[in-house]
Amino acid sequence: MSTDGRTHKPTPPIVGGALAVLALVIATGLLLREHAPGNMGSGFLVGAAVAMLGGAVMWWRATRSPGRASTFERAWTQTGDERDDAVLTRALAVLGLLAVPLTGVAAIAIGLGAAVEMVLALLLAAEVAVGAIAFVVVARRS
Amino acid sequence: MRNDVRELRLAAGLSQRELAGALEVSRQTVNSIETGRYDPSLPLAIAIARHFHRTVEEIFHVD
Repeated sequence: MSTDGRTHKPTPPIVGGALAVLALVIATGLLLREHAPGNMGSGFLVGAAVAMLGGAVMWWRATRSPGRASTFERAWTQTGDERDDAVLTRALAVLGLLAVPLTGVAAIAIGLGAAVEMVLALLLAAEVAVGAIAFVVVARRS
Repeated sequence: MRNDVRELRLAAGLSQRELAGALEVSRQTVNSIETGRYDPSLPLAIAIARHFHRTVEEIFHVD
């Protein structure tokens, strides 16, 4: 019996998803570089690259050595147990609750004349900080 | 909710990591259950009870 020398291995869904996200990020970054004010496009691309690299490292650690991965890594890669899921759910609930007043404060700041780009950047940073702090607090208390 | 998981684990001569492996959860989850910081779901509570050949009520106590 002979074969044609080719073996078809199905592409894992996560690889397809990662490639799609990468394409979307690059396209968005290039659009921002072309049309957005200042160096927003470059900042977006650098931030997205750092985030994607961090995500890849987390996924690698969580799948390669789950016993040594942190709650944060297991929760975000969906490779953890019920406590990891509970911690992530509660942290995201805190973030969701605080996102409303944070957005309100941002709107008021814009209304009072603050630069829109600066307020949006600070809003995003504040939401990331709230999410991180909420995750740490919830993980330590549960 | 109080529980006797730590006492039962020590009586069985198991480490937290070994019990976590048997229950297919993380060591941190076993630690959180033992210290009362995390109340397990009903399926996990039943798995713990079965592991120690007890009933759920014998291991978990409402304060």
